[in-house]
Amino acid sequence: MSHGTHSRRQLLKVGGGLSILGAAAPFAAQLAAAGSAVSQSAPDYKALVCIFMFGGNDANNMVLATDNDSWTRYFNARNTGTDPIALMPVGTAPVAVGATNPLTGRVSRANAPDAWGGVLPIIPRTIQTIPTSSGTRTFGLHPHMGPAKTLFDAGRLAVVANVGTLIRPVTRAQYEAKNVSLPANLFSHNDQQSTWQAGRTEGARTGWGGAFGDLLNGMNGTKSLFTAVSTAGNAVFLSGQNVIQYQISTGAQPAVVINGQSGTSLFGSSIAPSRVRDTIRDTSAASLYAADYATTTGRSIGAAADLNTVFASSAVTGVLTAPAYRNPITAAAETNSLAIQLQTVARMIAAAPTLGIKRQVFFVSIGGWDSHDVQNVAQPNNLSKVASAMAYFDEALANIGGVNMREAVTTFTASDFSRTFTTNGDGTDHAWGGHHLVMGGTVKGGDIYGQFPTIGMDQTGFKNPDMTSSYFIPTTSVDQYAATLGRWLGVSETNLDMIFPNLKGMVSRDLGFL
Amino acid sequence: MLKRLQVCALSVLLLVGLSSCGDGLSFAVLGGDRESTTPIDNIPEDTAVAARFLTQATFGPTDGDIKTVMSKGYEAYLDGQLTAQSPSHLAYMDNRLAQMKLTNPSASLSANQFYESYWLYAATGQAQLRERMKLALSEIFVISLVDGAIDARGAASYYDMLGDNAFGNYRTLLEQVSLHPQMGRYLTHLANQKEDAATGRKPDENYAREVLQLMSIGTVQLNNDGTVRRDGSGAPISTYTPADVSNLAKVFTGYSWYHPAPTNSTFFGGSRDPNATVRPMIFYANYHSVTEKSFLGVTLPAGAANGPNDLKVALDTIFNHPNVPPFMCHRLIQRIVTSNPTPGYISRCSAAFIDNGSGVRGDLKAVIKAILLDREARDVSLSRTPSYGKLREPMIRLTNWMRAFGATSISGNYLITSTSANTSLGQSPLSSPSVFNFYRPGYVPPNTRLGDQNLTAPEFQIVDEVTVAGYANTMQTVIGSGIGSGSDVRSAYVRETEIAHDPNTLVDRMNVMLLSGQMSDALRARIVESVASVPLPAPTANNAATVATARLNRAKLAVYMTMVSPEYLVQR
Repeated sequence: MSHGTHSRRQLLKVGGGLSILGAAAPFAAQLAAAGSAVSQSAPDYKALVCIFMFGGNDANNMVLATDNDSWTRYFNARNTGTDPIALMPVGTAPVAVGATNPLTGRVSRANAPDAWGGVLPIIPRTIQTIPTSSGTRTFGLHPHMGPAKTLFDAGRLAVVANVGTLIRPVTRAQYEAKNVSLPANLFSHNDQQSTWQAGRTEGARTGWGGAFGDLLNGMNGTKSLFTAVSTAGNAVFLSGQNVIQYQISTGAQPAVVINGQSGTSLFGSSIAPSRVRDTIRDTSAASLYAADYATTTGRSIGAAADLNTVFASSAVTGVLTAPAYRNPITAAAETNSLAIQLQTVARMIAAAPTLGIKRQVFFVSIGGWDSHDVQNVAQPNNLSKVASAMAYFDEALANIGGVNMREAVTTFTASDFSRTFTTNGDGTDHAWGGHHLVMGGTVKGGDIYGQFPTIGMDQTGFKNPDMTSSYFIPTTSVDQYAATLGRWLGVSETNLDMIFPNLKGMVSRDLGFL
Repeated sequence: MLKRLQVCALSVLLLVGLSSCGDGLSFAVLGGDRESTTPIDNIPEDTAVAARFLTQATFGPTDGDIKTVMSKGYEAYLDGQLTAQSPSHLAYMDNRLAQMKLTNPSASLSANQFYESYWLYAATGQAQLRERMKLALSEIFVISLVDGAIDARGAASYYDMLGDNAFGNYRTLLEQVSLHPQMGRYLTHLANQKEDAATGRKPDENYAREVLQLMSIGTVQLNNDGTVRRDGSGAPISTYTPADVSNLAKVFTGYSWYHPAPTNSTFFGGSRDPNATVRPMIFYANYHSVTEKSFLGVTLPAGAANGPNDLKVALDTIFNHPNVPPFMCHRLIQRIVTSNPTPGYISRCSAAFIDNGSGVRGDLKAVIKAILLDREARDVSLSRTPSYGKLREPMIRLTNWMRAFGATSISGNYLITSTSANTSLGQSPLSSPSVFNFYRPGYVPPNTRLGDQNLTAPEFQIVDEVTVAGYANTMQTVIGSGIGSGSDVRSAYVRETEIAHDPNTLVDRMNVMLLSGQMSDALRARIVESVASVPLPAPTANNAATVATARLNRAKLAVYMTMVSPEYLVQR
């Protein structure tokens, strides 16, 4: 395979361009060169799937510390406002709508926590002690995440606690003294989405999913275009220095055919289709906009034949279909777009052997997490969609053309940021560190990784070391989280240091969940 | 009156990246005399040049508008447009509901009727510059019908409000945006309550943050030319801190639904007035923060709840922040002229924002004139710079078709529903996925020639392998049979079928109406050859229908091939 040499040549080009512009390279410029070290004897297939929760998920209501010490401070902070967002403790039965909840004294409504029952207990395999006192800490998941609890209990889902964007470890004292390097534009949606995906604010051009792809796409033969695949539009996460993200449709056909160039006749002309094809793929225009648009069109046309043929094969059509979905609060039938996107990913994984693809990175997304208000309406349904889509994906992967592919695929969540620990009355605002989920057959599931923070706002006699204002300071960096995933995918330590230059300054380089 | 516009013409056209003229900036102009000043006529030299101006200033050139600009010149045309008024979208909605109820007494309004009004006025409105400005402003002061909290009738009134202020003062616009109930719903400061120390509840920070980041000053300090101000170590200087946001959030407490007799109940939406969704929010003192508020260098002392004063001070402070002129100029130029304006262009626009010539700051009339009459907008030779121009917005490509080819709505109501699917246009008016619009001003498309030069191209954020196919297929249907329910909006291609026997003349027309005279020889050759290949029999006594079909096919083919060509997709 000529991957190494080819990459070096590409590197010179890319590196030169960066130095001319004088822009800081998002990742070390020698990244691609080092990629030649990738093992040729790696297992047959591996994929990473990023589930991005756009808007900033309130992780405080996704994974909760339920021991008495933590819970009391949680409940005090959130059981207030016009529409309190505090969930009910473990073991609380759902209160019928219209009945009074003895715990809160409120009449139960379908779109309020009283009606949902208590958080779902999960028991991590590694015993954790309560930070502020002694004894074993206990945990729970949001009551509408039943399928996630099942996965956790089965050992295929892990929680990674309090992850966020960091340049170096930060303590509360350092943050408040303003004498420590911090990521730029914390709390800004677009910038933190970009920082999660690409290590820098808006305008970044290389993300870590794409960087992994740069190192591994040599294993994908002639179909390396399908190394980094999105179902959710352009995401810098998937853009490498060489690897280009490919957008796949979740429709019946994964590639949308441009009809005007594919038929035998167009508006009465038999030669027009070929002239249209020549025109729309023509990248010779001096205008960069025109040329770049034509390049994308050329890729679209080129991919269509390959992909649509393979997707018609029985290995792909046999993939488990995404289930129907009901909103747990309204009981109304809704589309779970995330499950549909993961269905397309599962089909792509089923198509991989035919296409000769061995390493892939996927990007799927779900929006609607910016719960400044009516959090009780939006977030439970979103969490339910995530849990049920992940459970569907896990089940689909268990039978891809008769092969159990769970161990070949690791799925993880990401989000702009978590949200304030306090409520603004019926919602929460932008914050920083938050908990995330990782799923897969090789994930050491049923456990919580990283440092689950001390819970609660400051009060007399209590100062929370993990929180400032009303947000958690991350105790695990996105780089650590990403490096752990990249190592599993086959990226070497040397390359991880180049992709994540801040990794060396972190306490550990492997969070241990894989 | 300015008769001739001073334009800096570049004697050498080989440019790399950004170019500039007259500002002492030296962005890589390679070789030759760096610049010379030549005048450009206020009257366009030909119809193609007039069409180019109309491509920036309207929803697309028409034969009539080209004539007008040719006879009046740019400035007089603009002055006429600056006083022309838009029809009301809200009135359209109310009339439409009455019409719908004639056949279905339980009919109600949805986003679809707003979309109808958008296409109707974008295609046929006489106040074209105002229509175009409304769309531009709606992509900066974003609300979205995608959010279930947004009421369609309210959205129409919000769009009207943007139009009413399009050529007014930015300060008034900012206030009316801040108090519009649909913005209140979208960025959740409607019914936002003061903090409560006892329970730890804090005000909602959503609007406070986004009004700063997206609608006025942005995250980093700017010079008047839009370049970033940096500290001694080269790091950008932030414009605000988390504390500024949480303090400003307290200003936006105590506003909620209009009601003629407000009570605590109406604050929370009780006894909703029928026009509460379209009338400005009102102040409810009981819910307004009374503690000290410090933001952007000003401090409002603790004391009695004085919401109107707090709001005035806050909006005045934002309005007078030095970032606002370059911030707004950069965004408006990106919507109207080019994705990568030179610092000089932004600087000249900022100067007009800072002072309209009569000492007034924030006059958007002066700003839009500065944008459209600037040499960087008008100098045709600059359009050949590879980085110049912008990808056309899909919503504007469709109106370009409607206007150029006289498309009409059979029903009169432009029955076009959502065009947001990635297999359609990938966008609908007032329907972006989030307050961050369909695309970001700072988007740099990875793995592209633009990206290699670190150039921004906002519209490329929605360009991918699916959307390019979606657009081409959508236009094939639109051009072939029309768009909307029952192909409600369609063109008969009257002018085009008349000249369809002559492929070169037909393509000349495409070149003016769609490409501002910028068509390449290669594209011309491909279209001419294809059009000529559609058999056109000589007319006989009984083949009129065959001939008409052939002429129509030739017209449609020429339009389609032009509108899917890469050179059409860039507005330059």
